[in-house]
Amino acid sequence: MSILEVKNLTHTYDGNTPFFSDAVRDVSFSVQQGEIIGIIGHTGSGKSTLVQHLNGLLKPTHGEILLDGKDIWENPKQIRMIRSKVGLVFQYPEYQLFEDTVYKDIAFGPKNMGFDDKKIEIVINEICEIVGLKKEYLEKSPFDLSGGEKRRVAIAGVMAMQPKIIVFDEPVAGLDPKGRADVIKMIADYRNKYDATVIIISHNMEDMALIADKLIVMNKGEMVLFDKTENVFKQHEFLKSIGLNVPMVTQIMLVLKQMGMDIPDDIFTVDKAVEFLLRLAKGGNTNA
Amino acid sequence: MLNDITFGQYYANNSFVHKMDPRAKLLILVTIIVFIFLAQNAVALSLIALLIFCGVFFSKVPLKMYLKNLKAILPILIFTLLINLFFTSNVNTQPSWSFELFLGLTITNLSLYRAFYMAARILLLIIISAELTYTTTPNDLTDAIENLLSPLKFIGLKNVVHTLAMMMTIALRFIPTLIEETQKIMNAQKARGADLESGNLIERIKALIPILIPLLISSVRRAYELAEAMECRCYNGGEGKKRMKQLKYSTNDYTAFFIVFLVCATTIAVNFIL
Repeated sequence: MSILEVKNLTHTYDGNTPFFSDAVRDVSFSVQQGEIIGIIGHTGSGKSTLVQHLNGLLKPTHGEILLDGKDIWENPKQIRMIRSKVGLVFQYPEYQLFEDTVYKDIAFGPKNMGFDDKKIEIVINEICEIVGLKKEYLEKSPFDLSGGEKRRVAIAGVMAMQPKIIVFDEPVAGLDPKGRADVIKMIADYRNKYDATVIIISHNMEDMALIADKLIVMNKGEMVLFDKTENVFKQHEFLKSIGLNVPMVTQIMLVLKQMGMDIPDDIFTVDKAVEFLLRLAKGGNTNA
Repeated sequence: MLNDITFGQYYANNSFVHKMDPRAKLLILVTIIVFIFLAQNAVALSLIALLIFCGVFFSKVPLKMYLKNLKAILPILIFTLLINLFFTSNVNTQPSWSFELFLGLTITNLSLYRAFYMAARILLLIIISAELTYTTTPNDLTDAIENLLSPLKFIGLKNVVHTLAMMMTIALRFIPTLIEETQKIMNAQKARGADLESGNLIERIKALIPILIPLLISSVRRAYELAEAMECRCYNGGEGKKRMKQLKYSTNDYTAFFIVFLVCATTIAVNFIL
């Protein structure tokens, strides 16, 4: 059974005003336990609106969200409990830090979920390892940290609730390449350690190629593609037509292909491309 | 919750009132507010009310918008109504009828009259102020204030007027931004399990801390960024600057002035006659 199922989700903003618009229209998909799902799409295509439904921050105008087969809005009073099962890391999460020490800030979520002090301490130690926060940071003020460190603390704050499903809204926005790689790695580590399901919104196709099992492509509030990552990236012309692109290395491969080289169209990571080109070089120019 | 108060929200349209000079609108607003308080009886007040409703009609802003605005002040309105209903003392005139409710709370025809009179005043104040903000962009409004206050420079307050106007422009400009920011932070903290909806008063106030602190910090950050951006564009106060948009009174404005003058004069007359 799928862990999370979205059925015919439609969300209309400002329904009664002249400014109303469908932010998300008739979106359906299902997610299996342990999968990493990427959501890509143009700015304003409804990605953020979509993910805010997954933990009940927004209520669908039409349609439903099933978590473990049960509608999350079945009992609206229990919606806070859904948030312990589906964690959501917002864009620029570092702006939501508020406590006077890093430890207290990370503990905010677990405390709200009713974890006792002992469990909180254990969880925080585990999570700090995943996000790469050193012990001595825990007693510092979060406002004395650098941007990248703040991001780690904020992500740790959501991870510490140990959600079964964790959703990231552009987790790498505004980070340098090293910071980006670190964040991608901690997401993968969290998934592996807790056997969690991950949903990521990103504009970075390279990261998606690296980490996502499946991709959801959003365009103007509608889901236009939902397929395995390689199947989505194979449709480079369609992606371009809706203002998206394939990973940089795939673009290079496409140019090489146009120049007459015999190149498969499923190369989406630099490692794979290097491997392929080396094989090509060793085998001589027979294919070219 | 945060979207309930439409006060200060511009409703874009192209009506007679929208096209008026913001200075004229501001002056008329002040005049009408003064006359709402000068009107001493129901007839005088209904004259003003008529004027205000004409303005509402000509503003081409849907009535629904005004009603939404009134909903937000309904508690104050009801409070005023009740206070006046029960605690009006009748010193000068003897009430023609009275009705004792309980605990000595008495309603008389005079207190009933007074309660509705006060409520109507508040209602009119809100409607006329809302009309100004619906039909005038905040920027036009501050331009108007700056322009109307400009005589102050002759008494040694040269930079003060411009600085105040700039501060107001910025403050107004950032209200929607801050509302959006608040909403975002609230969602982020809710996603971390923050409970904003239940608990007693103290718990609720405590629950606001995770929202207020990030909001305060981001406001300060924004202020720094804005100050730097302004310096980068060589902002150095109002000195030696000419406005891109020059304010100018038109026939519309003079017509409006004339009508308001007529109504106000009649109000005074009615005050004396009745």
